[in-house]
Amino acid sequence: MTKITLNGREIEVDASKPLIAACEENGVDVPRYCYHPGLSPEGSCRICQVEVSEGGRPPRVVVSCRTPITEGMVVNTETPEAHETRRQCLEFLLKNHPLDCPICDKAGECTLQDYSFAEGQTEGKTEEPRRKLEKRMDLGDVIVLDQERCILCTRCVRYQEEVTKKPELTNAGLASNTYITTFGERPLTGNYQGNLADICPVGALTLKQFRFQARVWNLEKESSICGECSRGCSISAEVLRRNEVKRIRPLFDADVNKWWMCDTGRFAFEHFNDAERLTGGLVASGDNLLVTTTKDALARAAEVLGTGGKAAVVGSAWLSQEEAAALAALAGALGTKAVFVSPEANELKDDLLHTGDPAPNRRGLEELGLKAVSAADAAAAVAGAELAVLAGERVLAGLADENLGTAKLVTFDTGPCLAAGVEVCLPAPFHIEKVGTWLNVDGLERNLTVARKAPAGVEPLDRSLNTLHAALAGAGAQA
Amino acid sequence: MDMLISVLVILAKITCIFGGVITLAALTTLAERKVSAWIQFRHGPNRVGPWGILQPLADGVKFIYKEELVPDGANQVMFYLAPAMVAMPAMMGIAVLPFAAVSPLYQDTGPLAIANLDLSVLFILAFSGLSIYGVILGGWASNSKFSLLGALRASAQMISYELALLLSVAAILLMAGSANLVDIANDQQGSIFNWYIWKQPLAFLLFLIATFAETNRHPFDFAECEPELVAGFHTEYSSMRFALFFLGEYCAIIVMCAMTCTFFLGGFHVPFWADAPWFVQAGMFLAKICFFLFLFIWVRWTLPRFRFDQLMGLGWKTFLPLALLNLFVTGALVAAGVY
Amino acid sequence: MAIVKRKELSIGEKLYLPAIFRGLSMTFRQMFKKRVTRQYPEEPLPVNEVTRGQPRLAVNDDGTIRCVSCGLCEAACPAYAITIDGQETDRFIEREPERFDIDMLRCILCGFCEEACPKDAILMSDELELADFSREALIYDVERLKRPVSQLRPRLDYVYKVNERW
Repeated sequence: MTKITLNGREIEVDASKPLIAACEENGVDVPRYCYHPGLSPEGSCRICQVEVSEGGRPPRVVVSCRTPITEGMVVNTETPEAHETRRQCLEFLLKNHPLDCPICDKAGECTLQDYSFAEGQTEGKTEEPRRKLEKRMDLGDVIVLDQERCILCTRCVRYQEEVTKKPELTNAGLASNTYITTFGERPLTGNYQGNLADICPVGALTLKQFRFQARVWNLEKESSICGECSRGCSISAEVLRRNEVKRIRPLFDADVNKWWMCDTGRFAFEHFNDAERLTGGLVASGDNLLVTTTKDALARAAEVLGTGGKAAVVGSAWLSQEEAAALAALAGALGTKAVFVSPEANELKDDLLHTGDPAPNRRGLEELGLKAVSAADAAAAVAGAELAVLAGERVLAGLADENLGTAKLVTFDTGPCLAAGVEVCLPAPFHIEKVGTWLNVDGLERNLTVARKAPAGVEPLDRSLNTLHAALAGAGAQA
Repeated sequence: MDMLISVLVILAKITCIFGGVITLAALTTLAERKVSAWIQFRHGPNRVGPWGILQPLADGVKFIYKEELVPDGANQVMFYLAPAMVAMPAMMGIAVLPFAAVSPLYQDTGPLAIANLDLSVLFILAFSGLSIYGVILGGWASNSKFSLLGALRASAQMISYELALLLSVAAILLMAGSANLVDIANDQQGSIFNWYIWKQPLAFLLFLIATFAETNRHPFDFAECEPELVAGFHTEYSSMRFALFFLGEYCAIIVMCAMTCTFFLGGFHVPFWADAPWFVQAGMFLAKICFFLFLFIWVRWTLPRFRFDQLMGLGWKTFLPLALLNLFVTGALVAAGVY
Repeated sequence: MAIVKRKELSIGEKLYLPAIFRGLSMTFRQMFKKRVTRQYPEEPLPVNEVTRGQPRLAVNDDGTIRCVSCGLCEAACPAYAITIDGQETDRFIEREPERFDIDMLRCILCGFCEEACPKDAILMSDELELADFSREALIYDVERLKRPVSQLRPRLDYVYKVNERW
């Protein structure tokens, strides 16, 4: 550890990191555009300049992202000289930056906007026109590049070189004519392009899918866990007007996903906004399913399961530990053992984040003693039984292509079950709507939190299962 | 046959005169709102019909459709009866009002009036005295403090003003030597200077002011008195029952105006035209009534309300002695043969 | 504090009658003065560019809407009356409203949206009348809010004039 003085405060910092990181860790906010903790520092934006005095020499203004920490360094971020230098740098950055904040999707989470506002940079001094470049450059399926907005921080270039190891972006041209482009205007490739939009400090790189979809200050951002593979990346689910998930972004998690996430997980949220969402109970009556309340449907489910007979209990790989335990207990009461449908491994495995296993809680379910079975085996078990409980998000989707026979089905899923033998359909929350625990591929606990409130009528699945279990036990005691 | 015709004639008179007066009462409510509006630089009701002339009709329809509320603990019978007890005596007074010296109707002798009583003055005063019972009962039966206070004030006010009213009328009766309204009117025919107003200015003033009090009009409307008692004795009334109170009040005003005309302004007689045809006489009578109706409304929107103790003091300590004095002086003059 | 002794009234004043006649003559004269009531539906309210009526969206002369659905009016609206969804357009401004709803029952005509608008797209018009038979009908969508900019020009000029003072 090295001792330095930061804004008159004596602190001990890690000398292996750049000065700007030490400032951030000690609660001093230094503006930055090109610096990103996950990328190598470059020092191209010059906005992070602070006043540094070393070895008793007179202070000078240096870029804090490229300055190594030395013993006894005296750092001052707020002197008039530092402020003035930063302000002048900002003026250069804004010289060619178009004034289209009202249109720009980054507005509201744009650090250039924030710092211009803080420095009171309201009017430009130049009379020359701003440079004209490509406003809508298509960079493949995920990213759109607005070259005019780019401030040439080169975060994207370094990200492609250092994180994805696919150097597909570069800065071309010279001096004031520099611009960001791909080699030969080829589209970007890979499963990690979405992160470019996150790291871009301005609105130059934006997601095609999110383009003009919402203003970011209208989004409610709550943390959750990605459920697309067994890595369990921390995510921030961003909800518009309290119902529609508009965007998913990675949250920094030092142990799992750092700052990144894959595009598979990033764009897998359309099903959260499904209009066919089940928000109450459905009870079979003849050939039809009648809409009823969750409570009445639960009572009906207890009646169906109370009739006795050979039972099968099938969960999904998205069950939390708590739900799986409740399901296992229910299975015990029905005289069987719970299993879970294990989705097949996909081709998306890579050496960065994606594990190629779409079951986010496989490890946890197996620790609880639930057996992983294929969809065909699970369907055979259901078909061979008289009663069956199917529980968990996507359990019906997993069994959609299978023949479930004529067993009386009680299902807990986000949507309705239309199979032949269905008796009762009950609603279940999505994993972004519930509290629970997953164990990821490395055995790390991933804590699910409520990023979006489940619609009225949707009970937590573990509570529904426990209620059902208690009703069965009560009926057994009476008999 | 004669019997049938005379019954038909009386029915026709009742229909015309009664209907006419009721219509006049309805129009008076409109006039009240119009005049008050003019005094306050407003337009007044002008949406229903030309110049809002159908406004009373619209009000009537509205009253019919309003919910009838009966307060908890109200005396049901009295509460239902009171509006009729106010409206009916007021309308009874119409029966003896003479509209012309000679009735134009077939086989109908005598003046154009539903009934030509010898004691018609007494008849009107008796019935207008009865209407106070409706006010008192309505106020009492409502089971409301405001209504009860309004009713109490009405009774106290009635006693203190009825006396002055009667005593000033007594002076007129002395001069005319008859209690028949037709005789009183006939005594004033011819020149405008034959009107009793010139011979009895004090009685005119006392009678006029007493009629304001008698009909619960501003500045003596203590029985209603919105700022203090919400709406006084009819606070708890709604719908047609409230409308009946309203109608009764305006009928009473019309009857009182007609009496004022007959006592002091020559009644149905047209000045300087003793044998004018009946319709001119009736028109003259209506014109005089309308002038006094306008005066009632005009005064209402000009003067502030008196304090209740001022009203009582005025009645007992000023009007009563003045009316007595007037009666004595008139009696002496009549006895001396001057009048 | 001073003790005020009430003036003794003269006999004329005690009679009240002169005062009453003065009052009556005054009210009688009032009756012939000019009426101040405005007969509203026939006689519309005078409006000018200072009138802050209902907000309207300006449409350029070529029929395109000025709004870029930046959402600033939505954010500025203290009554949460505005709801905006954007969509991409081929025009220079890149984005235009797909949905722009103003709940006129919520709108308090404060003019914050006009003040927030960076594109002079939302302006307080001189339209003041608002009546319908359902709440839904009073949620105005883009088509009902559109007004040619020529119609809103006086207000626009006024807003610029006022802002110059700052």
